[in-house]
Amino acid sequence: MEISRDAYRAIEDIVGPEFITDDPAFLDSYAFEWLAELVRPNRSHYMPRPWAVVMPASTAEVQGVTRVCNKYGIKIKPISTGWYHWAAPMKDNDPTIQLDLRRMNRILDIDEKNRFAIVEPYVICAQLQAEVMKLGLNINIIGAGSSTSIVASACAYFGGGPNSYSMGNNSDNLLGQEWVTPAGEIIRTGSLSSGCGWFCSEGPGPSVRGITRGVLGSRGGLGTYTKCAIKLNHWPGQKVLEPKGPPPGYRLEIPENFRVYTIGAPDWDAWVNCYHAIYDNGIGYVFHRQFNLAGADLAAALWLTYIDPKKTLNDVETASKDPAIQKVAEEGRISFQLILAGNSMESIKLQDKVLDAILAQTGCYKVARFCEPDMAEFTNMYMQRLGHKHCNFIWVGGYMGSWMQAGTPDYVRNYIPTAIKGFERDQKSHLLVECGGDATMGCGSTIGGGGYFGLEQFVSYDPNDNDSIDACIKHMEDAIKDAISVGVPAGKEALYLQIGWSDERIWDALSKIPQQFILNFQTKIKDAFDPNYLGDRNYQWIPPGWGQKADAK
Amino acid sequence: MALETYRADAMRCSRCAYCKWVPLDLMKSWRFSKGCPSIEFGHFHSYSAGGRLVTALSLMDGRSEVTEKVKDSVFKCNLCGSCDVTCKMCRYDMEPLEAMKELRFHLVEQGHTLPQVEPVIDGLRRELNMLGKPRAERGDWAAKLNVKNLVKEQAEFVFHAGCRYSFDGDLGDAARTSVRILQQAGVDFGIMGEAENCCGGRAYGMGYKAEFETRRDSTLIAWQRAGVKTVITPCSDCYHTFKRLYPPASGCDIKVVHMVEFLDQLLGEGKLKFTKPVPMTVTYHDPCHLGRQGEEYVAWNGKEKKIFGQAVCYDPPRPRYNGAFGIYDPPRRVLQAIPGLKLVEMERNREAAWCCGAGGGAREAYPEFSNWTASERIEEACSTGAEAIVSACPWCERNFLDATAGGKRKLAVYDVMQLVEKAL
Ligand code: SF4
Ligand code: SF4
Repeated sequence: MEISRDAYRAIEDIVGPEFITDDPAFLDSYAFEWLAELVRPNRSHYMPRPWAVVMPASTAEVQGVTRVCNKYGIKIKPISTGWYHWAAPMKDNDPTIQLDLRRMNRILDIDEKNRFAIVEPYVICAQLQAEVMKLGLNINIIGAGSSTSIVASACAYFGGGPNSYSMGNNSDNLLGQEWVTPAGEIIRTGSLSSGCGWFCSEGPGPSVRGITRGVLGSRGGLGTYTKCAIKLNHWPGQKVLEPKGPPPGYRLEIPENFRVYTIGAPDWDAWVNCYHAIYDNGIGYVFHRQFNLAGADLAAALWLTYIDPKKTLNDVETASKDPAIQKVAEEGRISFQLILAGNSMESIKLQDKVLDAILAQTGCYKVARFCEPDMAEFTNMYMQRLGHKHCNFIWVGGYMGSWMQAGTPDYVRNYIPTAIKGFERDQKSHLLVECGGDATMGCGSTIGGGGYFGLEQFVSYDPNDNDSIDACIKHMEDAIKDAISVGVPAGKEALYLQIGWSDERIWDALSKIPQQFILNFQTKIKDAFDPNYLGDRNYQWIPPGWGQKADAK
Repeated sequence: MALETYRADAMRCSRCAYCKWVPLDLMKSWRFSKGCPSIEFGHFHSYSAGGRLVTALSLMDGRSEVTEKVKDSVFKCNLCGSCDVTCKMCRYDMEPLEAMKELRFHLVEQGHTLPQVEPVIDGLRRELNMLGKPRAERGDWAAKLNVKNLVKEQAEFVFHAGCRYSFDGDLGDAARTSVRILQQAGVDFGIMGEAENCCGGRAYGMGYKAEFETRRDSTLIAWQRAGVKTVITPCSDCYHTFKRLYPPASGCDIKVVHMVEFLDQLLGEGKLKFTKPVPMTVTYHDPCHLGRQGEEYVAWNGKEKKIFGQAVCYDPPRPRYNGAFGIYDPPRRVLQAIPGLKLVEMERNREAAWCCGAGGGAREAYPEFSNWTASERIEEACSTGAEAIVSACPWCERNFLDATAGGKRKLAVYDVMQLVEKAL
């Protein structure tokens, strides 16, 4: 289906001819997305092609393009850095403009005194972090890493990361946003809408943060966020990070007021007790279960290979058979990374003492090899900048996260054995990377301030091998059943799979969930802000009465 | 190799877009955080390494065709390799840079060439150089230097000036200074003079593989006849060509040395001493072809194998070029040995250096893009407070001279050899 030339020209007039394209190869570069092959017919790596890609440079241009879309009934899908299958248009033959916001890439203000920064959508976490660290401040970098957009994680997703433990999620840290609704209105939230600046997300003025976000965030399904203010936090470390060594395993010196540890636990109960005790005692700057993304059987072999620039994946195989490394693997089987930061030497010494007491009390311990200077400095670099996050894909280029249901540590401990057993079972096909049943990892917090988190199984599959893709899909289906079998709702795998469903199938599923009032509420929001239904179902809603007739039959 | 060879890489690209940035750990500011000139200038995802992998896939699968826009996106790239370094931070074995080169070969083989590049390639075929200058003048730079001509004599070492140093008079005396230093060091060397060929590396980058092979074969035969075992060059473009692109040709076991490596060795052995101070603050620009792409070639012939069920590695293990072992320290040691000279670093240095803009045929095909890329580097150099930007490649220097020519930025441009000459 060809885009209306009138609509094309109208958009071209707004952004200029060099910032719109409908060249098929260019469109394909946007349709090609991570995870697509798990949900698209014939395991295609392409989501539906957008009708055109448009690159606005300002809020006014976003608004102009949105109004044209309303006039011509073209759907809108904004992206910032543009990662995930849900970043692409979701339906074939449904004319959709992909708004690529990469020209909106400025840090507009860093308010050092009031500790917030105002950024446009294409500012990534690493850029802002580098700038604010110079002022002794820091940001929460989300679990997906520092190549991600701050606006996307704060306004349109939940934005949890290793720093959330001490800094909160980016959805919590959102202090104001500028939103071009699908109808083309510009709405500014909180104090900003009263002309009082960006300091408060909840007023004076309308607080539409909850409206636009839902639980998870609208993920491009409800208009375009063009600016946001994000809270900044204290940073007692180096003003400029100066990594050492050749790639890929850069190392960051550990200042005397910091400690970088990998903590191991003898069992999951001890792990949970240790988490509680660390949280209760208010120590810690970064809390993350990171390295286990490689799988508990292989994590030690992978990371000890990774930090040697002369080695490659072949060496991981050799390392995994080395008894010394196998011993490290056992020590770190149930582990997490913890960084302590002190505002003074007294503070860091005290935190260290408290940690030692917690370890003694819970039976947990420091994983010695991972606390040696080379690995500790690598861990410090990795966790402070999260610049290696796409090691998620290191084994073969395909990774999918299952589980990740968030809750208290005890809640998570209860589903972990099932998650491990299920993954072990599915690896027996040899069609997924065999890294041990436990490849669970996750942030120390999924609500600001800790005490609550989830663990995600890192399932690696080969996107260039249809059998492996099928095995991953099967694992996703299995994981849903496994979760239900232990009374836990389906996890991230369900969220991923749903991207490939038809509207009707989604609505059928949604009509069966409890708390229908949420969907009714969101439907009203949709009607109010998106009267022409130009956003997609990443913002969830349900047609009034859907499913009721079927139930009546 | 056919484009099909890179299908697996394309299918396994995680669309993470790391390839657009410097390695994230190395980011020190918003201003100098970008790694890829192409995406910064072209904007659409197709102007990135990841985007080009999709273009390759889309073309192979007949989902799209080669349009003018596709050609623009394929060729408007410096082949600087920044993307390759950043991709390999997390993706051990992806080869986006090689895939992008192959995509160019594919387009050129199918006749999808750029009209503005054709005259340059015609000039190469006719005059055997990339500047379209009369080939008879190629050896003029060495007049009165009393150097062996290896067309008539034999020597173990050949000094290869390269097209740019042979013909671009603005670049000063880097080639002549090199020759004088080699003479003082007592090296048994010669030059090919008028018979020196273009190395073919730039044609390779432009997608003209056949032209590259002709130049390579001709050069290797000439060297073989002259008994050459080692080539020394002050040009990083030629250096990379000899070091990385020649070896796959059978029978090529020539040792390749850049002049900065040779100088570094002389300094290390105490055979060279700088006597005159050069009181100047300079910043060093790592040429892509000497730095991240200057790693040793390792022959490999193998196939993919899977370990742990589905993890991909290679049998035998495949060499990994990720910029870890490029030539970064020798030029810095040489500069630091010059009395009075202060070396300051740009934010993006070594494997994370921003390109000068001359590579991949961009200088010839897209002067505006090329000049913008160079201007960005000049801005970065100025931000260090340096009075001069120093490089070890005439192509970088030519681009920097052009970018500073308008006088907007007052920054001197030097080759390492020019500063060495001042210090001798
Ligand atoms: S080429 Fe590499 S860095 Fe770029 S998107 Fe693909 S996997 Fe990521
Ligand atoms: S080679 Fe350089 S210009 Fe080309 S895509 Fe890679 S980083 Fe960009």
